[in-house]
Order: sequence, then structure tokens, then C-alpha cells
Amino acid sequence: MIEYREFLYVAVTLCALAAVMSKNMLTSAISLAAMSVGVALILFDFNAPWAAVFELSVCAGLITVLFISAVSLLRKEEAFFAEDRTRFRLLPLFALIVAIGGWIAGWPFFEALADYARFGARGQSLGSMLWETRRMDLLGQIAILAAGVLVINSVFAVKKAEK
Amino acid sequence: MTISLLQYMLIPLFSALLIPFVARRRGRLAEIFATVTLLAGLINIGWTLLNPAVLASGFSALGEDGFSLLMIFTIYLVGLCVAFFSASYGDGRGVNTAYFYPLLLVSVSAMCGAVTSTDFFTLFIFVEVLAVASFALMTSDDTKEGIEGAVKYYLLTFPASAVIMLGLAVMLLSAGTFSFDSIRIIIYSGTSGPALIFSLALMLLGFLVKSGVVPFHVWTPDAYQGSYAPVSAFLAGIVTKISGVYAVVRIAMFLRLFETGAFRLSEVLMFLGMVTIAVGAIAAMKQDDFKRMLAFSSISQTGYIVLAAGLATPLAFIGAIFHLFNHATFKTVLFLNSASLEKATGTRDMNKLGGMEHAMPWTSWTSVIAMLSTAGVPPLSGFWSKIIIIIALWDAGAVTYAVLALLFSALTLAYFVVMQRRIFFGRKSPAAEAAAEVSPALLAPAVLMSAVIVAAGLLFPYFFSYLAETIASRMVL
Repeated sequence: MIEYREFLYVAVTLCALAAVMSKNMLTSAISLAAMSVGVALILFDFNAPWAAVFELSVCAGLITVLFISAVSLLRKEEAFFAEDRTRFRLLPLFALIVAIGGWIAGWPFFEALADYARFGARGQSLGSMLWETRRMDLLGQIAILAAGVLVINSVFAVKKAEK
Repeated sequence: MTISLLQYMLIPLFSALLIPFVARRRGRLAEIFATVTLLAGLINIGWTLLNPAVLASGFSALGEDGFSLLMIFTIYLVGLCVAFFSASYGDGRGVNTAYFYPLLLVSVSAMCGAVTSTDFFTLFIFVEVLAVASFALMTSDDTKEGIEGAVKYYLLTFPASAVIMLGLAVMLLSAGTFSFDSIRIIIYSGTSGPALIFSLALMLLGFLVKSGVVPFHVWTPDAYQGSYAPVSAFLAGIVTKISGVYAVVRIAMFLRLFETGAFRLSEVLMFLGMVTIAVGAIAAMKQDDFKRMLAFSSISQTGYIVLAAGLATPLAFIGAIFHLFNHATFKTVLFLNSASLEKATGTRDMNKLGGMEHAMPWTSWTSVIAMLSTAGVPPLSGFWSKIIIIIALWDAGAVTYAVLALLFSALTLAYFVVMQRRIFFGRKSPAAEAAAEVSPALLAPAVLMSAVIVAAGLLFPYFFSYLAETIASRMVL
């Protein structure tokens, strides 16, 4: 049975691959955000709550809003990146080789990480950690999301009116 | 942030999220929602600051940070005036009210978040929220000038954000915290190394760019001049002051705590403040466009605040914070009135305006009050803040800066007197012949703000005791 942590490794890898390989920039931005959420959960699991909180609030929050705002300003046809992406098809194969190699050669390292994870498990939950220590940042994230959505809508409204 | 201050940030944010849904079909509802939200907030913070128990205690009963409370009051005051003015100014032309007012409210919410934050990272987040909302507000009427100003604003302020982020990273590495209180304790304990000063210097640099201080001021006149008229008042009056100047004053409060090592940084700050006063005042004299002249004048006034922040004595902080408040009041009046003049005459060219007092007496006289306050004429509020800054400079031995500040203040006064004569008094110009006074709804914000300018000047002892009791004695001494 796949454990929580292994599931996160796989999910983060898949999201990273989707971010690089996707032809649609919006899908790329969302995949990158999902990867950041996964990385934040792994960091928290390994007793690095501050790194997790910042990964979640900056990479999954702020950066994603900026990416999505930028993508939304592009026209539909521009959102599909028209470059030769054949070479990226080898990426999943490369990721698989790295994963198998890591599984075989890096097992002691994963065991050592698991010790940190067991130590980390004694602390607070990610939710309470976020709320207790970074409450204002979370509200700031909500405000920036609101600003981003309003900016996109106001710009689109102008474009519609022009059409 | 304490829970009691959270409301000032959360309520406008909720209102902003609600407006696009409720005002989808009826644009007027957006204006009503925004105005009512801001009015309620202003009454609430006004009561918190000025209720009888607080006045009777000489402001010592106020438990919160006095700097934050005064800034919240100023934010709501300017926000209300701009929202009320916009409702009558736009007449629905080219501005999407269902998104304009929510963006205004998000800006108010972000500014309240910034001034009530108790750590550098949170402050940075809210400043970025403000930057995103300001960008869209500048382009509200979709004009070429507005877009040009917004792009310049983005191109110059986003590298500044990167520098601030770098400063945050160095701070976390050197001090292990972003919290104002913890940083203060670290500095007091004497365990802080040069890395902490370096992190503060990086952040200071970023916020100076966002303040539009010389030599980082190139984006400011274009942004103010090109923006949708009520947005210019909002930007010049409060947005750039909170996203830049407020943070500079906060950081300066930390610099003075260092025993050695940070004084050079304070000296640089004072020098930049003085250069900003000079460049802003001289550049303002050369302008023909009323709004552009006001933009340079705003840069010059920012210089006084930065100069006082660099001096970093308790009296200098009182002067800087009072001037920050005063600047918000008089620049809001002047920018709103420049919009009224443009609406009534169709021009902002000062060569074409003349004798406007005959056609637009209310607009003219409120402008005169604001200009005299900007120039530092007693007993208006601008006089008191400038004189405090000059006395603080003299008191601390910075005689050259004190004399220069006084000279440029006199220069500003001379120029404003000439300009008043050119625009508002004298023979009626063709533009004045054709113009008529704007509606009472457009005049009301300017009249309210002018009343605040006069009241703040006449009731200066109360202001001084507020600033001394809630800011200087608690945060600096």
C-alpha cells in the first residue's frame, strides 16, 4: 500500500512533469501551484514548518496569482506555446529512471528523512501552524487573490467592450 | 495585528468581493456599497480615536499602536473622499464600476493590512496586494496615458519588490525572524551583526523606489498625471505613501536603535530626503500641466517626511508622521480639484486657466487652503508639521538641512502664491468664461478635506499630544 509520503513524492513529480510538458500555459501555472502545495506538505512532514508555510504562501499563492494574471492577459491562441516540444517527451522516462535509481541507491537517505518526519509529526498540524503563525499572510493571500480576480475581470471587460 | 484592528482590513475586503455580484446589473449599487463601507469604517475609527474617554485620558487610554490608528483613519478618509468623488465624476463613461469600486476597497483593505502588520513579511505581502490593485486602478478609464503610467509603475516598482524580498531573505538568515518586536529585541541586545543592517538597507532601498524618492522618482509624475483623475488623488494622497513612505518611516525607527553602524544609512536617508525636496520643488516650478505640477510637488513633500525619518529623533518622527497625514489631506484636495477644473474647463494647462475664482469659487478656495497648507502657512496643518521637522533638524545639530528645508519651504510658498494668482485670481480667461462650478457632490470631498486641514491646524495641540503620547513615547523613547 502506498503511504502518504510516497504518494506525495509521486504527485509532486507528476505535477512538475505536467507543468513542463503542458502546451496550455494556464494548465502549466496550475500544475506548478499543485506541485508547490505538494512540496509544502513534504517540507511540513519533514519538520520544516517555516519552509512549508513560505512555500505554500509564496510559491503556491503569490506566484500563482501573478502567473495566472499574466496568462489571462494573453489571447487564447497565444496561450498555446508554439515551440517544438518533442524533446520534452523524454522527460517522463528520465523521471522514471531517476525514481528507480533513487529507490535502489537512495534508500538509506529516505530512511534518514523518515526519522525527521517522525520527529516532525509531534508538532502542530499544518493548518494550525499556518493560522497561529502566519494568519495575516493568509489574509494577504486572500486579498491578493481577490485583487488578481478583479484585475483579470476588469481587463477582460475592456476587451469585450472593444470587440 | 491585534484582532480589534482586523476589522478595518476584513470588512472592505468582504465588500469588494460582494460588489461584483450585487452590482452586476445596477452600477449605482457599487458606488453605494463602497461609500457606505468606507463611511462606516471612518466613523468607527474616528470614534476609536476621539471618544470622550480617550480624549479625557490624553490619549493614554489608546491601547493600540498610534501610528497604525492614525494611518487607518487617513486611509479611510482619503478612500471615502475618492469613492464619493468618483461616483459623480465618471458618469459611467469608460469606467467599469462593478470592478473599479471593489479594486478601491481591496486597496483600502491592503493598506490597512500593511499599516497594522507587525512583521516585515506581512507588510511586504500587503504592499504587493496594493501594487496589483493600483496597477488596475491606474488603467481604469483605459486611456493611453493611464496604461503608460501603469506600465512605468510596474517596471520600476517590481524590481523594488525583488530587492525587498532579497532583504527579507537576508533578514531571515541573519535574525531568524521578521517580527518587529523580535528584531527590536535583537538590536537592543547588541547581538545583531552587519547582515541585519544590510537586510534593512535592502528593504529601505526597495521602499524608497516605491515612495518615488529622487533618484527613483521617474515613474511618479507619469503615473499620477496619466491615471484616471480620482485615482490620481488616491495614488498621490495615500497609496504611494503607504506602500513606500510608511515603510521607510517604520524602518527608520529600527535604524535609530543601533548603537553604531546604521548611522551612515540614516545620513543617506536624510540626504535623499533633502535632494527630493529640492528636485521636486524645482521641477514643479517648470510645469504647465496642473496635475503634473502637483505630482512634482507631492514628490517634494515626500522629501520632508524622508528627511525627518532619516534624522530619527522622537520630535522628527512626530513631524514626519504628522506631515504624512497632512500630505494625504492637502494632496487629495488638490488632485480632486484638478479633476474638477479639468471637467469644467476641458484643460489642465495652467496657461489657459485664469480667474477661475469667479466661475468656480468653492473649487478655487478649497484649492487655495490646500496650497497654503502645502506651502506651510500658519495656522494650517502643513505649517505645524514643517516647523516641527525644521525644529527637530535644528535641535539635532543638522543646521544646514534645517536652513535648506526652510529655504525650499519659502520657495514653495512663493511659487504657490504666484500659481494661485495665475489660475484662480486675476482676469477671467476664456476657459473661466465658459466654466461653471461643479456639482455639490464633487465639491463635498474637497470641502470636507479642507475642513480637516483647517481643524488639524487649529487643534494642533491635540494632534501633538496624540503623536507624543501614542507614538513617540511608546515606540521611540
